[in-house]
Amino acid sequence: MAIGGSNETLEVCRFPQSKYVDAVRWLPKISALERFAVVALSDFDSGASSIDVLALDRSELSTPSLQSSWTAPSRVSSLRTSESFRGPVIAASTLAGSVHFLFANSADASLESEVCVSDKAFHAGAVSCVDLKDGGSECLSVGEDGRINLVNVGDTAKVSYRRVFDSNGLVSYTAAKWASPVEFATGGLGFSLQWWDQRKPGGAACQLKGDWFKGASSGMVHSVDIHSSRKDICLAGGSSGVVFAWDLRRPQQSIILSQSELNENESHLPCESEVWSVQYDSYFPSSRAMATPSAHILPAMICSEDGILAVIRQGEEPVELLAETCAINSFDIDKQNPSDVICGLEWESIAILSRP
Amino acid sequence: MPGVVSNSDVPSSNAVVPFSTGAQEPVIYPIRHGVAGPIHRLAISWGAGNNLRVSFFGKPDSDDEIGGKVVEVKLSADDPEIESDAERRRIAYGSVSPFAHLQSRRNSVSLLSKISPSPYNIDWWEYVMEYSKDIKSLLSSPNTLPESLFEDPRTIIKKTEDPTFLKAAWELIEIFYADKESQSWLPERMVDWLADFDSLFSVEQVTVHSKLVDFQEKLINLQSVEDDPRYWQSISSALALGWLDTVVKMLRLHGSYNLDQLNDRETENGLVEAVAVLISKMPRRRPELASGMLGEKYMSKPDFMKSWEKWRAQLTKLNSSAYWIHCSHHQTREGLKSMLQIMLGDVNSLSIATHHWIELFISQLLYIRPLSVGLESMYSLAQKCIQLKPSSTSHKLVVLMMGILEENTEVVLAECSRSFSPWMVAHAIELLTAGSDEADFLLNEDRSNLGGISIKELYRLIYAQVLSSHPLTWQIAPIYLASCMKQGMALLEILLSSQPVHNNNLLLKILEICRLYELDSVSTNMMKVAGVHHWKQGRKGLGVYWLQQARDEVRLNRIAQTLFDFVGKSISEENFKEWEGLIELLGADSRSAGSLDFLYKYRDFKRSLQRVTDGKNFDACQQAVDSLISLMKSPSTPHRFWLPLLYDSLKLLNWRDRPLLNASQTYLLLNKLQELSTARLRPNFVEPILPPDALSSVRLALGTNLGRAILEE
Repeated sequence: MAIGGSNETLEVCRFPQSKYVDAVRWLPKISALERFAVVALSDFDSGASSIDVLALDRSELSTPSLQSSWTAPSRVSSLRTSESFRGPVIAASTLAGSVHFLFANSADASLESEVCVSDKAFHAGAVSCVDLKDGGSECLSVGEDGRINLVNVGDTAKVSYRRVFDSNGLVSYTAAKWASPVEFATGGLGFSLQWWDQRKPGGAACQLKGDWFKGASSGMVHSVDIHSSRKDICLAGGSSGVVFAWDLRRPQQSIILSQSELNENESHLPCESEVWSVQYDSYFPSSRAMATPSAHILPAMICSEDGILAVIRQGEEPVELLAETCAINSFDIDKQNPSDVICGLEWESIAILSRP
Repeated sequence: MPGVVSNSDVPSSNAVVPFSTGAQEPVIYPIRHGVAGPIHRLAISWGAGNNLRVSFFGKPDSDDEIGGKVVEVKLSADDPEIESDAERRRIAYGSVSPFAHLQSRRNSVSLLSKISPSPYNIDWWEYVMEYSKDIKSLLSSPNTLPESLFEDPRTIIKKTEDPTFLKAAWELIEIFYADKESQSWLPERMVDWLADFDSLFSVEQVTVHSKLVDFQEKLINLQSVEDDPRYWQSISSALALGWLDTVVKMLRLHGSYNLDQLNDRETENGLVEAVAVLISKMPRRRPELASGMLGEKYMSKPDFMKSWEKWRAQLTKLNSSAYWIHCSHHQTREGLKSMLQIMLGDVNSLSIATHHWIELFISQLLYIRPLSVGLESMYSLAQKCIQLKPSSTSHKLVVLMMGILEENTEVVLAECSRSFSPWMVAHAIELLTAGSDEADFLLNEDRSNLGGISIKELYRLIYAQVLSSHPLTWQIAPIYLASCMKQGMALLEILLSSQPVHNNNLLLKILEICRLYELDSVSTNMMKVAGVHHWKQGRKGLGVYWLQQARDEVRLNRIAQTLFDFVGKSISEENFKEWEGLIELLGADSRSAGSLDFLYKYRDFKRSLQRVTDGKNFDACQQAVDSLISLMKSPSTPHRFWLPLLYDSLKLLNWRDRPLLNASQTYLLLNKLQELSTARLRPNFVEPILPPDALSSVRLALGTNLGRAILEE
């Protein structure tokens, strides 16, 4: 495996939080000087959970300062940020089955108001994933209870939701991602993926069969990503270090990008354990002025239980950015400045990377 | 949660064992339970860590909505010295990788020595020192003060970082047990150690450090420092402990250096400067001097001895110089003279200049016995110092130091476990065993009174237990448990099995640990528990998934029966989409699905039947027949589905163009029908909901089909 490319120029800073980091996200850029990160924290000693907005100095990596904090009713299971016409909006789902929307001030990112959906009919048990549509007007929520809901966040005072599908617990969903204003993808058990089209109600428009995976053991999908320019390819990461892509134009098969059991002698193996998160990596250093061949899957970044943060390019050696002694549970690439990555580490800290 | 009573009224004594005083006030924790009415029953048990779980039960027959409540009370440790929990966890996380690294080195070293008796002796203590360095970097407080760019000449004591007892103890053990290189320059090592940690003794009594800090505060208001006796006292004290840079800095504050006074006080200034120069030329037996440190380093013993004698001769010469008579300033003359006495090693002067016996002890090492190496002589010297300066002996660093000087590893270990955290003992044992064979034997010997384990293993287990009790640190306990040969793995299994399984991500983390330590039976068990949990919570898909992962056929078959009831009623064309995902999950792999593969086949059958109804395609018919036969043959198809299946396939049996089933297939179905009539007699048979003539119409269709099939053949 290629290590780090050029390690001497990759800057990594770790900041202890003294609380468990459930999720991390960048907040869309507000000012040129400052940038903000959103961190969902759990204090296991007091049982309190919170969503904190941290201010980071853009010029030097000093300890982030707390800008604003909001107390969550329960642990946060997933976190998304988006830019709406009013300013940055944060969506957070909890293990208690609620989804919260926080609206940040567009000048200093302080949290100003909050609305939530938490009635009993919304989700039974934990919400496993949320995804905000671009513009922050609509939010998708999926849960282990097999429900898929669409929350309308049009108004800061009130939110409403409607049920897209309810499998009554026969199927659980663990990941979700918007593809277009009317289409989205979900992931679940047995490395399954579903494609939904709101114009075709009543069930999934298409699904990747659960038995496509011929490995020794099956697993779960933990994270799904879809690139805005190639919306018919679904990228997914899950158990046993499996990262695969599903092309809707060839829905019966999938393209394995990384897997632990398959590649004993080939070395396309960034990790062996759970891949907790995947995201397309839109960062191209100037030295690497080559475009990905159009037939190839775009480069993707993954983080894993065995502490690896790596970039996978189809048909190439993965590039390892971090190899931590503890799990990396979440990460986010800054959309406006893709060289910067924030990671949530198992041992109560966050790490911020700036690539050359 | 109840608030914890503030412990401001409890004297912040430094007593190491809180129970020994006896007169300590009990701490009261008020609990707000919110149960209305009288409490019927009370149950108390230990929760995780220091939490006490108190359960309140109201009267069982009361109409009150809340029947009871469980409250967790956190019993706080009342030791002000102990860092915050978050800080303790930071150290715990940070020490995992140095510890694991050292263990793997130990394994490879012992493997190497087994294969071939190593020709060169691998210096194990060097590895241990590397480990110790990593650990020490953790013990420094993470937020060190930024160094000021402009140095204030009147700042005599620089504050770098807050010293901690933990780090002081660690370094002390490192100096004496692990660091082989420091054995030849122990006195200077001790000087360095005390320079870093002298302030830790200030809590109980005046120390040189506290004296200098006090003087520093007064310094701003002093016009001519040399008139103040405290100035000379502070200088002497600093000199006695070998803080030469501080001493020279303070000497330069002497009024005779002022340009306007230089002419009048020439002799006086000459004497001050002479002493300052002599101080900065002091020979020091150490391999190197840190930046800013004064003196001249010598590592070889003869070189050091030579320059030491020369230096002392210079001191004596200055002491008996004629210039002293010309020095008109009384305080300066006396002050400088006593400084010379300190450097010449006068016991009385040293005793006056120091406060704590450890300070006296180290000043004597520096000026009287700079070549001390043996612990025995150091111990008797320490004894003498204690007699001269009796002080409270319960200070944890004092007890630790005496244990070390006595060469009593047991005392050292006992003190570590009594005054410091279990973290300290578990990690310091590596230092204790690094250089001493005797300590190594003592700590590694299996003892029957400890249940056959060694002291080393015992303390590791204790530390692992502490880690296990917190929901965040339990994940690192396996690393320590795995290093315990005798009981570690069994305890690891217990630890893993007692973790909650309802959160999938957490369960996956547990399974990952099971995979690393090859605890397949534990992981299978955990998955079974999780499967049943999710199933009971109505998350059928997740339940089936985990049971499938655990290959738990028994439970899958059990679950199948419930699912079939559900299917019998609900699989219709409309809500088939709901089932689609679950059936996909089951896959065609009957090995892991138990009798649930029936659902998969049933779905295929229903699908092909659907196609038969849609268009009259012969291939579809043939496929439907194949599915039907395989369903009827399969042992996992429940009896009660036989008749509905046959009833559903009536249109296949009555296919107009030609018989779709051949004779043997029809015989098979007839046999099944026969079997069914006997199965019906069993008490637990569930009658399917079908029209009353279903059986007869199936029988008739089968009969007709048989006739047609035989004719065709």
